[in-house]
Amino acid sequence: MKKVITLTLPGELIFTRLAAQTAASVAALVCGECHPKDNNCEFINAFELAVSEAFTNSALHACQDELPPVTLTFIAERHQLTVTVRDTNEPFGIETPQPDIESYPEGGYGLLIIRKVMDTVTYRRDGDANIISMSKKL
Amino acid sequence: MKTLLCIREREYGWAQEAFPAIHPLLLPLCNKPFVEFLIDFAILTGSTAIRLLCDGPLAEVERYCEDGRRWGIDLSFGSLQPDDSVPVLLGKNRRFCGDERIMVVSGFNFIRYDKRQEYARLIDGAPDGPFASCGDGGIILAGAPGTGTAAPDEAGISLIPLDSTASYYEASMETLESGAERYVLPGYGGEPGCAIGRNVVISKSVEIRKPVSIGDNVQLLGGTIIGPSAIIGSDVIIDKESSVSSSIVLDHTYLGENLEVSGRIASGNLLIEPQSGASIAMEDPHLLSGIRQDPVLAAFPRLLIHALVALLMIGLLLPPFLLLWPLLSLSGKWKPCPAEIIDGKGNGTIRLKTVSLPHHGALGTLAAALSLDRFLMLFRVLGGQLALIGSTPVSAEERGDSNATAMTAYRPGVFSYAEAEEWPGCGKSEDASIVERFHLAHSNPVTDIALFFKAYINRIQEKITA
Amino acid sequence: MIITETTQNGISVVTLNGTLDALSCPEFRANPAVGDPGQTVVLDLEKVDFIDSSGLGSIVGAARKKRQQECDLFLACMNDKVRKVFEITNAQKLFHIFDDTGAAVEFAAMQQEACK
Repeated sequence: MKKVITLTLPGELIFTRLAAQTAASVAALVCGECHPKDNNCEFINAFELAVSEAFTNSALHACQDELPPVTLTFIAERHQLTVTVRDTNEPFGIETPQPDIESYPEGGYGLLIIRKVMDTVTYRRDGDANIISMSKKL
Repeated sequence: MKTLLCIREREYGWAQEAFPAIHPLLLPLCNKPFVEFLIDFAILTGSTAIRLLCDGPLAEVERYCEDGRRWGIDLSFGSLQPDDSVPVLLGKNRRFCGDERIMVVSGFNFIRYDKRQEYARLIDGAPDGPFASCGDGGIILAGAPGTGTAAPDEAGISLIPLDSTASYYEASMETLESGAERYVLPGYGGEPGCAIGRNVVISKSVEIRKPVSIGDNVQLLGGTIIGPSAIIGSDVIIDKESSVSSSIVLDHTYLGENLEVSGRIASGNLLIEPQSGASIAMEDPHLLSGIRQDPVLAAFPRLLIHALVALLMIGLLLPPFLLLWPLLSLSGKWKPCPAEIIDGKGNGTIRLKTVSLPHHGALGTLAAALSLDRFLMLFRVLGGQLALIGSTPVSAEERGDSNATAMTAYRPGVFSYAEAEEWPGCGKSEDASIVERFHLAHSNPVTDIALFFKAYINRIQEKITA
Repeated sequence: MIITETTQNGISVVTLNGTLDALSCPEFRANPAVGDPGQTVVLDLEKVDFIDSSGLGSIVGAARKKRQQECDLFLACMNDKVRKVFEITNAQKLFHIFDDTGAAVEFAAMQQEACK
C-alpha cells in the first residue's frame, strides 16, 4: 500500500538537519531492516544526503525576508520511496555540469550527489513552485 | 595476518575502456569477479581482515562485496594516491594493520595459486620483503616477521599482469583449463571441466564440449555448440545454430542465430579480438540474422497490424478515458509531463506527452490499471512513430549515459516486451534489453499482438496489486 | 558541531564532532587553524556523523588555499558514511587519507620537513 507523509518547514538553514533526519527516519521505516541510526544502510544514507542537499538548495535561494515554506512529501510504495521537495523560489535548472574535481571547486557537488545516490531525479516548474522529485528503489 | 589489496586506476584503465559496463575489479574470470580471486587468496594465506585500496571509485565493488561477511572475513575499503609507496600505505592504514603481519598485494595482477597448498604456513614462514613480484606490483610481506624459514619459491605462486584484453583472455582461459582443482569456481557440475549456474535452459539439441563454464539465467537455443573452452556469463541468450568456442561471452549478452564465435570476447553488442583489442559492433544483419527481408517491406505488415490493434484499443479505451480523464484532471492527479525519446532510427527524437498518474484512490488505480496514461501514445502507433509493443523508450536525456545509441536493436513501443515477459529485474535496463532484443529478432506481427495483450494484462495485475 | 584543536609534533589536529553541513560550515571555516592558509592541518573526521556537499566544499576549499601556500590538509579516521560522500564526488582523489591520526601527523611533519 502506498503511504504519503508531508512535512512543511520554513526555508531556513537551521531546519536542514530536521529535514534530513526526517528523510532518514522515513527511509528506515520503508527499508524495514535497518535502524535509523544504522550508519551503513545505503538506502537510509541516500535519502538523508539527498534531502539535505535539496533542502539546503531551497533555503539558500530563499528570499531573505519572507522565508517561504519548503514542503517535503514522501511517497512510500512497496519497493520504492519517492521524496519531492517543493519551494516557491526563482526557477532553476538541474542541468549543471559535473564539477572538475582537479580544480578544487568549493561548490557544485549538490546535484551531482543527488543524482549519484538516487535512481531517478526530475525537476519541474509548477506554477510559481520548483519541484524536485527524487526516488530510489529498495 | 591481514591483507592490503592496492590497485590503481592507471593499471586497470584499459579494462574500463574495453568493458565500460563493468568495474574492472568485478570483471569476471571464468564467471568469478576478479576481486574474489584476490579475496580467496588472502583467505588462503590466513588473513582475517582485508582492506581494498584504490584511487578510483569503489562504490560498485563495495555494493557487491559488502563487508566480507559472506567469506567470513572483515572487508573494508579505503583510498590511496597513485604514487604511495608501501611504507606510506602501511602508515595510512596503521589502525587497520595494528601490530599484525601484513601482506600487501598490489597491481592489477592475476595470482596463480593452488587452493590445496598450505599458504598460511608458507607465508608465515617467509621473510619480510617481496614475496612475488610482477611489474610495479606484487606481493610484499611486512610488519611482524614470520616464524618459519620457508622460501618464497616453494609456494609456486606466480602473477599474470592483466594489462590488455589479450592477457585477460589468456588468464580466463587458463583458469578455465585448470578449473576447480586449483581455484574456487562458481556453478555446479557433475564432472570436472563443466560448471553450470542456476536457471540455465539447455535445449535438447545443444552440444556441450568440455571445458565450459556457464553462468546463471542462460538460454542455449536449439543446435548451439558450446565449447570447447567457452565461458558463458550470466543473463546470456545464445540463439539457434550458433557456436561458441575458445571464447568468453560476458554477462548480459545476446548472440544471434547462426553465428560462429571462436577466439573472441563478446560483450553486449561488441565482439572483441583479444590479441589486438580491436572490436566490431555486431550490427543488425549479423546479430539479427533472422531478418533477411527488405526491412521496409518486412515492416509493412507489422505497421499495419500494430495500427489496427492500436485503433481497436483506442476504441475500447475511449469511453473510460473520456470518463476518467476530466475527473482526474480536476482533482489534479492527471499530470502531463512532456518527454523526448529517441526514435527507432536512433538518430532523431520523438516528442511525447507522457502522463504521471499517482495511482492511489479508486479512480487513479482504475486509470493506471487500464493503462490510460499511455492512451495518447496509442495515436503515435497509427502514424508509425511508435510500435504497439517494442523496446522500452529511451529518453533523449539518457542518451549520454546509456549506450542507447550503440543499441543495434531498438524499436520504441507504447508497451515493451520486457513488460510482457515480466523479466526478472525489469527495472535494470541491461537485463530487460536482452529480452527485448530477443523479441525484436524473433517476433512477427501475430506474436506481437499476443505479447501486447500479455503486457497489458500484466500491467493490470501490477497496478491492482501495487 | 564541536571543533577541538590540539597540537601534536608541531602539527595542528582539528577534531570535528557532529554534522558538517551548510549550517555548520561557516563555523568550520572560521576555525583559525583551518582558515590560516599557512598552516598544515590534520582533520580528524571520526566523529562526523553526517557531511553533505557544503561540508565537503568547505574542506576542499580549505585544502586549496593551504596548498597554494605550500601547506596541506590531511584527513584522518574517516568513517564509512563520510568516506562514501568523498567517493561519490571523487574528492578522495585530492587528499591523503589516514585511518589513524598519529600516522597522519607523522606524515604531515615529514612533508613539512621536506618542504623546508
